[in-house]
Amino acid sequence: MHQGLFSIDEARQLILDGKTLLIAGAEELLAQLPLGDWIGGTSPYFIAPNHNGMIAHEQLFISDISKIADSCYIKAYDKNELTSIYNEAGEGGFSVIIIPATSSVHASFALDAPTYDNFGSQPLIGWIAGAPIDQLGERRPRVFNGKKGESYIDHAIIMHVNIVKSKSIDIGHINIFSQGAGDTLTFLEDGFSFTHVLVNGVKVNFTDYIVTNDIDIRLPLIADYYGALVNISLQDVDAKRGVRFYAPVFTGIKYKWAAPLGNYGETLSNKIKSIDLESSEIVFSCNCILNYLHSHLEGNKNEQFTGLISYGEIAYQLLNQTLVYLIVSDI
Amino acid sequence: MSLPTKTNPKWEEIVTGKRTYTLKFLGAKILLGRLIRTIDADPSPHNISVAVNELHALYSKNVTIQSAKDDLRTIFG
Repeated sequence: MHQGLFSIDEARQLILDGKTLLIAGAEELLAQLPLGDWIGGTSPYFIAPNHNGMIAHEQLFISDISKIADSCYIKAYDKNELTSIYNEAGEGGFSVIIIPATSSVHASFALDAPTYDNFGSQPLIGWIAGAPIDQLGERRPRVFNGKKGESYIDHAIIMHVNIVKSKSIDIGHINIFSQGAGDTLTFLEDGFSFTHVLVNGVKVNFTDYIVTNDIDIRLPLIADYYGALVNISLQDVDAKRGVRFYAPVFTGIKYKWAAPLGNYGETLSNKIKSIDLESSEIVFSCNCILNYLHSHLEGNKNEQFTGLISYGEIAYQLLNQTLVYLIVSDI
Repeated sequence: MSLPTKTNPKWEEIVTGKRTYTLKFLGAKILLGRLIRTIDADPSPHNISVAVNELHALYSKNVTIQSAKDDLRTIFG
């Protein structure tokens, strides 16, 4: 078993059996789990094996990484401690991070992750914990340290994993978008929210620009990081507040609007089918809530992908509207 | 393949953007996104040296990862 839905009793047994687990689910369920080698975060949306996309209040989504985990070290980090996560990681393994959405660590990680000391010393993957969409703003997303039985609304939880010597891992990501050929957007400072933007070098009111040009705000801005396309998804557009993003934009980066998609769901499905795993297998994956919503995955099956649905994906840095996965192969 | 030393000129060519390669290792792509931006803003010898050190360290610590191995073959043959 690598990933799937489990009852609270089944989850409890896996922990008591000494498994190393990544767990997503409702706060009330996560709070009932016994101590053990697990970390967790609130997230109610899943695509489980043999299930449609679903919201599950009575079950937990578990990724069992026991087969590759030789040992693990679990620690909660506040926003000031996050800069040292790579220095505290091991060598040759990987680290899994879960961050509560809208917390100070969420903002801090989003802005600073690429500048952390010893960046990428081992792969970092994870997700942003959330809440049911109709309860956002009422319920604070929460992360859990299974080793200590503690939970947090303003810390990241990280599991640093030493892997067994016979295995090798890597992080992959799927982005269904490509850069369009239109305007180039740049920003005068790093941040999540802007009233003005430089469009082809000319400063304009951002909201007016979007309205006047009839921009489809389901489409993200895209930056090209040496061939890795990184999406910046729009949260909302307001005449007074300006434009808010789910992830930060940075000065010095050139952004372009994503090229329009044909059928969102079909594009996502085809992209997932194209993953070339060769002799590897996926042991953890998460897909963005925006992909889930825009592809109408709730109630619909996506045979190629199982995993939790996140409020942001992490593959070394915060990503949006992306699917990230951890693959393992024999050495 | 073994990791070429930091004095191999190809490291500097990558971080300065003089040569581009189609890389697979996601960690390197994200790091290069930042390094090249930094050097664009201030291409001082110090900044280039720091960038080479960072990129070299990243690959040296991830040499068991297949995508990193593939990149080294792509860059250094």
